[in-house]
Amino acid sequence: MKTVLTDDMLKGYFKPDAAPGELARQVLLAARASAQASEKLLDRLAIQATAEGISLIRAERLERPATAGARRLVERAREELYEYFQGKRAFFSVPVDLSGTPDFQRRVLEAARRIPFGEVRPYAWVAQRIGHPRAVRAVGTALGRNPVPFIVPCHRVLQSGGGIGGYLFGSETKSGLLALERTTPIYEGCASTHIVCRVGCSSGRRMRPDNRVVFASVQDARSVGYRPCKVCKPSRAA
Amino acid sequence: MEHDKRLMGRVARGDEAAFTELVGRYGGRLLGVARRLLGSRADAEDAVQRALLQCYLGAGTYRAEWAVSTWLYRILTNVCVDELRRRKGSGLAIQHSHTGDLDDRASHVGLQDLTPGQYLDLHRALVRVPTEARVLLALRYVDGLSYGELARIRGISINTVKSQLARGKSLLRAALTKGGAS
Repeated sequence: MKTVLTDDMLKGYFKPDAAPGELARQVLLAARASAQASEKLLDRLAIQATAEGISLIRAERLERPATAGARRLVERAREELYEYFQGKRAFFSVPVDLSGTPDFQRRVLEAARRIPFGEVRPYAWVAQRIGHPRAVRAVGTALGRNPVPFIVPCHRVLQSGGGIGGYLFGSETKSGLLALERTTPIYEGCASTHIVCRVGCSSGRRMRPDNRVVFASVQDARSVGYRPCKVCKPSRAA
Repeated sequence: MEHDKRLMGRVARGDEAAFTELVGRYGGRLLGVARRLLGSRADAEDAVQRALLQCYLGAGTYRAEWAVSTWLYRILTNVCVDELRRRKGSGLAIQHSHTGDLDDRASHVGLQDLTPGQYLDLHRALVRVPTEARVLLALRYVDGLSYGELARIRGISINTVKSQLARGKSLLRAALTKGGAS
């Protein structure tokens, strides 16, 4: 039997739900927990750069970059990491310098870099991708020594069975980062300019918070009259 | 009853009782919208919690020129739309249209306006409606919001609201008539 659409049917379908009584309390508990979030990790991080890009991120003392250009890159990386940890950045634009890493490791890192924000892949996927399908263990080692964690997202590589796998800063941090990426949007538009950006774009950052509108795709944004930003070119994002 | 905007002022100063009152006023409707967009009750509760957390932490950025409900719906739809994006990539949207959770809801006694069969047909047809139109349909029919409010919530023009709603409904009608949804 065919169903004929009526407004009453739509109203019946969309009838509001009863809210659980605990809702407000749960949110307030979460609010207290989020106050002590991952920003602490950023305080522990030291960043090093060459003139070409970020070369090392570690939770230990590192030498100060030699040139003013490198110091500017370090500042930029720190800002981008801060926004990333706050859930306000879905990509890194600061360059990395992997010239000091051995060839095999560099290829592993380049492959990991292709994993889109918010997604995960098994170690075997990376091995396959660099043309060494049996070198799963070596891939794990190479990722474990990732000189630029976060920016090269080695945390998006998991064990094939779904296990979290190891991580430079501990597996708890790894699952924390994955959870963070699961709740960070990728595309946002500005309700006053009708421009859609990747979250973290420099022109998007000037947007007033109450003008933020999240979209599921650039195509969706276009369908309601938004145009893609010329600075961050969201159509090119994965 | 205390006015919404004054209540928001108290929330911005960290008043937990005011926040509890606000959630009491809007929680059910927010959950209704999230539920119709995301399918399962658990996913909807998760989305509403995330949205309310953003509201609580960002209460200072609320501007009084907005109706409180408009502001809450904006934040909630931002969370839901992003969740739908994630599902599109993983093919989850389709899976969710067949959950047992949905059948429970369909056979629920409270639904006098449509039969369980019609409920399921409608749900499956809605999965085929593009995200932006689906969001507008949910806001329009859960809370009966005006075109003007819908436009403010999604940051689009009133004409776009009207054309998206018309398009969404005609896609629904086509999916239901074809019977491909059953």
